[in-house]
Amino acid sequence: MRTFLRFLVRLFPPSFRSHFGSAIVEHAAIECERDLSRGRVAALRSFLLTAFDIGRSAFSERLRPSWAGVPIEKEGTAMTSSFNVDGWAAELRHALRTLRRTPGFTATVVGTLALAIGTIAAVFTVLDRVVISPLPYAHPERLVFVAAEAPGSEMTGEFGPAAEFYLQYKEASRLLEDVGIYASFTNSLRVGDRVERVRMGAFTNSLYSTLGAQPQLGRLPVASDEDRVAVISDALWRTWFGADPSVLGRSYEMAGASRTIIGVMRPEFQFPSDGTLLWVVAQVRAEGLQTGQFGYNLVGRMAPGTDREAVAAELTTLARGLPQRFGGSPGYARLIARHRAVVRPLLDEMLGPAARSLWILFAAAAIVLLIACVNVANLFMVRVESRHRDLAVRRAIGASRAQLVRLQMAEALVAALIGGALAVCLAGLGLPVLLHAAPAGIPRLADVSLSGRTLAFTLLAALLSGVLCGGAAAWRGASPNLARLREGGRGSTRRRRLGRDGLVAAQTAMALVLLIGAGLLMRSFLALRSVDPGYDTRDVFTFQFAPEQASLKDGPSWARFHLAFLDRLAALPGVTSVGIVENVPLDEGTRGDRFRGEDMPDGPDAGRPLNWTFAAGDYFRTMAIDVVDGRPFETADHLSVHGNVVISRTAAQLLFPGQRAIGRRVQQQGQKDWHTVVGVVEDVMQYGFRDKPQALLYFPLAGPTPTSWSITTPAYVIKTARAEVIAPEVRTLIRQVAPEAPMYRAYTMAGLAARSMVGLSFTLLTLGVVSALALFLGALGLYGVLSVVVAERTREIGVRMALGATAAGVRRMVVAQGARVVALGVAIGLLTALVATRALSGLLFGVAAFDGPTFAAMASLMLVIGGLAAYVPARRASRVDPCESLRSD
Amino acid sequence: MGASLLEFHVLLALASGALHGYAIADRIAAESGGTLRPRAGSLYRVIARLMSEGLLAESEGEGEDPHPGLTRRYYALTSAGRRTLGEEARRLKQAAAAAEKRLGLARGRS
Repeated sequence: MRTFLRFLVRLFPPSFRSHFGSAIVEHAAIECERDLSRGRVAALRSFLLTAFDIGRSAFSERLRPSWAGVPIEKEGTAMTSSFNVDGWAAELRHALRTLRRTPGFTATVVGTLALAIGTIAAVFTVLDRVVISPLPYAHPERLVFVAAEAPGSEMTGEFGPAAEFYLQYKEASRLLEDVGIYASFTNSLRVGDRVERVRMGAFTNSLYSTLGAQPQLGRLPVASDEDRVAVISDALWRTWFGADPSVLGRSYEMAGASRTIIGVMRPEFQFPSDGTLLWVVAQVRAEGLQTGQFGYNLVGRMAPGTDREAVAAELTTLARGLPQRFGGSPGYARLIARHRAVVRPLLDEMLGPAARSLWILFAAAAIVLLIACVNVANLFMVRVESRHRDLAVRRAIGASRAQLVRLQMAEALVAALIGGALAVCLAGLGLPVLLHAAPAGIPRLADVSLSGRTLAFTLLAALLSGVLCGGAAAWRGASPNLARLREGGRGSTRRRRLGRDGLVAAQTAMALVLLIGAGLLMRSFLALRSVDPGYDTRDVFTFQFAPEQASLKDGPSWARFHLAFLDRLAALPGVTSVGIVENVPLDEGTRGDRFRGEDMPDGPDAGRPLNWTFAAGDYFRTMAIDVVDGRPFETADHLSVHGNVVISRTAAQLLFPGQRAIGRRVQQQGQKDWHTVVGVVEDVMQYGFRDKPQALLYFPLAGPTPTSWSITTPAYVIKTARAEVIAPEVRTLIRQVAPEAPMYRAYTMAGLAARSMVGLSFTLLTLGVVSALALFLGALGLYGVLSVVVAERTREIGVRMALGATAAGVRRMVVAQGARVVALGVAIGLLTALVATRALSGLLFGVAAFDGPTFAAMASLMLVIGGLAAYVPARRASRVDPCESLRSD
Repeated sequence: MGASLLEFHVLLALASGALHGYAIADRIAAESGGTLRPRAGSLYRVIARLMSEGLLAESEGEGEDPHPGLTRRYYALTSAGRRTLGEEARRLKQAAAAAEKRLGLARGRS
């Protein structure tokens, strides 16, 4: 027991402990011995109280030392001076007691603050981990992503540089210390009997040094390894290989070739995206390089002391020399002449639009917190008014202004801190919900959890809210009007009504801004949903599998295999139609090449850059893509390599302007074969519903050239009402024909459509919830303030009614007072929204940032809610009994 | 305020001579009619504060040590402490008189 007491006494500061520690232990021990005679339960209770007392005293002692170390010999000390040292601690204790006495008030204040602080704490946790914390590489601020643009050329918008850019930058750039290229793709990994399609990266060896990444085991690839080696992720090492270090040096089949594992990366290395399991070597050589193959991802490390503009200028200049060094067509030279390098932080590239969504959400949560603070500040203002007499008396008998401020602030701070503690719990509960709703593909989201930084942020937010909430009341309470002691402290002065009305108008304005933002996103969402992408996503299931069998040795045999499998799928119960496409919309992109119609001249820059894919079976019928002319593919089209082609409406216009395309011929640049157009179909949106419909060529299943088939993995599409549940039956069929091939990329088209809009729907959902919260808090604030006003004016209203005012007249008077304040808030809110909604412009679709109907609708909603919030107190006012109200004096 | 009341009672307990910590606690319990019974942590904090203020000092005690080898500390009022106690007692007396007078008035009015 003494040991425990001694341990407790260690809580005291050392100077105090060395002087009084042993005496306290002795004292407490004697007390316990004596208590034992009164029974075990009593003794235990007493001991616990003693222990608690020691802890509490030690805590106070650390906050406000009472032991100065040396006793002061002082004459004539006034007792009162020592009585005042309590200061803040006494005020806090007092505040706690006051709050406990008014549980309704306290619950409202603490609940409001907890809700608002909890919201912002949860959002901050995600924002901090995903956006704010730097990439886990050395000097991440110097890492940049390099893209290209060429305004006025065939290449629209931003595009990835070609391999020759990388070679040029790497050799000649002085401002970039290091440059690397990466690609991300899925391919097969085979370890023993286990075969799966996994996400892989292909890196040039220089990318590791550019990022500054080191393996935790083994080594990184070097030039002499060529492309026969691979580096694996910590996750793959642990899940597939049981964290066995002897995995180094073993070879497995990865991405279609046997490669030797030479290193295991650290757990935090997840590049370019979370869930990348292994990295193979990408080789770029100057010999035999074909220029103009754009679309590479290029990462650079800036030299210390340089900035992105300087790097962009240098890289633009370096690229000008490319045609001279590597050759290429005149069109390539024209494009290079217009080329400009685009350099931005690597983290921005990895986060994409997620960063903006999270910042918007954070700003919205901050606004809600502000509204909550305004509400609570108003409640405290009302309270300080009701205590005016008490404060005036205190001031009159000599309390300083500082003491009165402290008195008010203490209460707000205590309430805010309790609210903050609850907020941490709320954030802990809310975070999984937020993460669940978040779109896939946001990097680093997997390891978001409440951290020390969350706690620090919450504490800061709570303290700040406390100051904001208590500030107005403290300022008001610090200079009580002594004259009002005489008049009995009744009636509402103009000054304090102005203050309160201002706060209500401000929160109305803030709530309206959020509502308008949510309204704009809602309209965008509806607009996107009603877009006709050229196909129908309902009741369609899609999947891929890649059979690897010796019998599949050329285009026709490969096509026969897939056509036979189509028949098996079509025989499944409930299947309406099935088809094949190489690149299914909303999931994969199509390839681009130059094509010319038979009337167009030949040459390196001839024809048009068009996208192509290939399709088979009832693809167009399954996806409900309209055939506008000619016919879709027939089985015979697939079995001859040089065959027919189906093109989309825009492709037909580009290749055969002003003519009917059916029966005309098309040639791919660099190929000898001509393809005959047999059908024209509607354009489709390949990447998402914000896209333009794409000009597209559909080749028969085996592809445009005799070898195309060997590098393809077609996607199947199945039209069936059972799209959600058909996957297991499909997997069983695959196992029958190709036990070696895993099924992957299995989705419903409706699911893909939802995924393509998830960035918008996530922001919409969260902003919707947050703005509903803001609306509720805003209405609550208005209601609270008007209730108080009505209570204050009971006498006046009683007199009015005694003099003949009707109940309806009184209701009108109160509602009008509320309406004036709300109208002011709405006006301010509309003006603010004009500027604030620009932050949403990247997310909006089919609606302008300044959209009249949305602004009008949300302003009306705010006015209606404001009117309702005012009507309840107005009704109460109209029921005032004149006799009662006059007697209440 | 609790602490200040406790301070008063510590000074009061020592008015008749030096005492050790445990005896101070006993004396306070008796003199406050059992309403105050300071626990070790709080008591020594008050003692420390009063010593820092120069109102108490450690002194030689006359009692026998209960545990051999463990010296007990005794505390006594300084002259400043004695004067402060007197002032405080006077102040309390005045306050009490004022309170009684006012309560009497209030009773008379209703």
